[in-house]
Amino acid sequence: MALSEELLRVEDLRVYFSTERGLVRAVDGVGFVLPKGATYALVGESGCGKSVTALALARLVDEPPGYYAGGRVLLRGRNVLEMEEGELRRLRGNEISYVFQEPAVSLNPVFRIGYQLAEAIRLHRRGVNVREEVLALLKMVGLPDAESKMKEYPHRLSGGMQQRVMIAMALACRPAVLVADEPTTALDVTIQAQILELLARLQRELGMAVLLITHNLGLVADLAERLLVMYAGRIVEAGPTLDLLRGPRHPYTRGLLAAVPRLRSVGGEVRGIRGSVPNPLRLPEGCKFHPRCPFASDICRRVEPEDEWDGERVVRCHRWREI
Amino acid sequence: MKTEDQRVAVRPLLEAHDLRVYFGGGKAPLKAVDGVSLAIARGETVGLVGESGCGKTTLGRALMRLEDSTGGRIVFDGVDMTGAAGRRLRTFRRRVQMIFQDPHGALNPRMSVGAALDEVLAVARGLPARERRRRTVELLEAVGLEGAYAGRYPHEFSGGQRQRIVIARALAVEPEVLIADEPVSALDVSVQVQILNLLRELRRRFNLAMLFIAHDLAVVRYMCERIMVMYYGRIVEEGPAEAVYSAPEHPYTRALLSAVPDLDASLEGRRRNRIILKGEVPTLGERITGCPFHPRCPWRRARCVEEEPALRERSAGRRVACHFAGELGDDAEPEREVK
Repeated sequence: MALSEELLRVEDLRVYFSTERGLVRAVDGVGFVLPKGATYALVGESGCGKSVTALALARLVDEPPGYYAGGRVLLRGRNVLEMEEGELRRLRGNEISYVFQEPAVSLNPVFRIGYQLAEAIRLHRRGVNVREEVLALLKMVGLPDAESKMKEYPHRLSGGMQQRVMIAMALACRPAVLVADEPTTALDVTIQAQILELLARLQRELGMAVLLITHNLGLVADLAERLLVMYAGRIVEAGPTLDLLRGPRHPYTRGLLAAVPRLRSVGGEVRGIRGSVPNPLRLPEGCKFHPRCPFASDICRRVEPEDEWDGERVVRCHRWREI
Repeated sequence: MKTEDQRVAVRPLLEAHDLRVYFGGGKAPLKAVDGVSLAIARGETVGLVGESGCGKTTLGRALMRLEDSTGGRIVFDGVDMTGAAGRRLRTFRRRVQMIFQDPHGALNPRMSVGAALDEVLAVARGLPARERRRRTVELLEAVGLEGAYAGRYPHEFSGGQRQRIVIARALAVEPEVLIADEPVSALDVSVQVQILNLLRELRRRFNLAMLFIAHDLAVVRYMCERIMVMYYGRIVEEGPAEAVYSAPEHPYTRALLSAVPDLDASLEGRRRNRIILKGEVPTLGERITGCPFHPRCPWRRARCVEEEPALRERSAGRRVACHFAGELGDDAEPEREVK
């Protein structure tokens, strides 16, 4: 890891939202470093701040109601949060691109997919044969019968096909970072497998860095080399994927792993985490996980834990060594 | 505690025989359910697995007569319910309850939780007011909520709590069969298991027969003794969950199981022979001749294109709709396409 080249550095990122009902600290002190060509996964449940973190990487959070309350996002050393409009536009097209959960929402329903892809290419790349490039991209993402498919409107394609088109659009500019936010959650199991295989292949072939955002721990084990676990706007644990999954340290990660029913499990009762994900408007004092934590003690209720590093692993828990 | 054998020996509570649900008449109807037979006994949970559009939700709805069937029979407790109407139908629908994926849409936002339960208890059970208040508290406690929550409104609850309320409402009429259609897929992982455990506890306590419809194979494994795999309106494989998961015989079941991310396999560093299917999940409007799975099947042979396989008994309680069940071998050959 020490030898790999740093591409993206997030430092103490804070993204807050002013809402009628109060201030939501959606992301509150997130930091990580994504090396060139690496695949990382950001894992957590709904409302933990993983998608807001992803959007912040290209300063895509709606302002207002959102605002950047602190921290830096450095892409090759330049702070994205301080860029001007023009610079941001170049960044969004050329260096970071996104694939979201619902391809049907991201594609424009009134334009043929070939046209939408061509637009993406024209916007970001000069001196290429646009038509050839559209076909090449569609072939690269494994869209069968690309010649005729490029003349179709989005609704004529299945969810899996639409997601392939979205991936093609995201790759049109040959980004350095691909952010995939729950890219397979809306798809059927057999189609999920196709898309995941496609992402893994493209990552290898194009050498881009991938940040995979997901709630599915099963998914990340085979894909990501490093895992970042988020809870209530913070990264509570991070480390090399298999190492972390085999020996989770944070009580939340432990609970989450124990709560996933296993394909091969027989008989025994799986236990969930008590309570539910906290309301972002009313986060508890101290460690944000303490009301649900079976190991919570007095200090957990009063003092928020800080990052504690141990080799390549980091955890935010007062008591991880004892439990 | 009953043993597996005793459980199988008892008469099924809910049965379907060669059930068909077609939409749109004429020469080319959409065959959402095309000749499905099943039987669920008291205290038993049968899992129904399949991808979007395979007909599993329509089958669930047809079983409680929310969809009209085009053919076949529905039998409840030994009595034919296929043509039941009026009071008989209303009584039947009370004894079979259904819960759905989305607990937000299922609850009236203007009605407090207590009022919603009270309404069911008054209308369906005709209980006097004092009795209803007592039962409301009992029901909330049965699903792990406090009785004092009766005065609150749906928006004051989390997704998991709302699903508990939906379950309480289904239990209010004291059903004997529960059809659960993707009951946890909208919930967070840490909350899913709470609801699954609740359903397991209620099944034990009330000796419910349950049809558990889901796309998540690990969740189905956790809940069910028997599973049925549905594809294109048909059951393609069924049997004891243990047997089907450890040695799936239909190529589709194999692909489905191998497509699920397997955390244990990854953690143990085992490489899995993953079958990545080509092609799309078919829509019911597509015309497919022969075996409905043949366009995507890595083991396809000439016969599969021409002749649709019947659901054949392979061993006790184990049925597979594949011409070549038992002859496939371990690897997808010879037509496996790796892109």
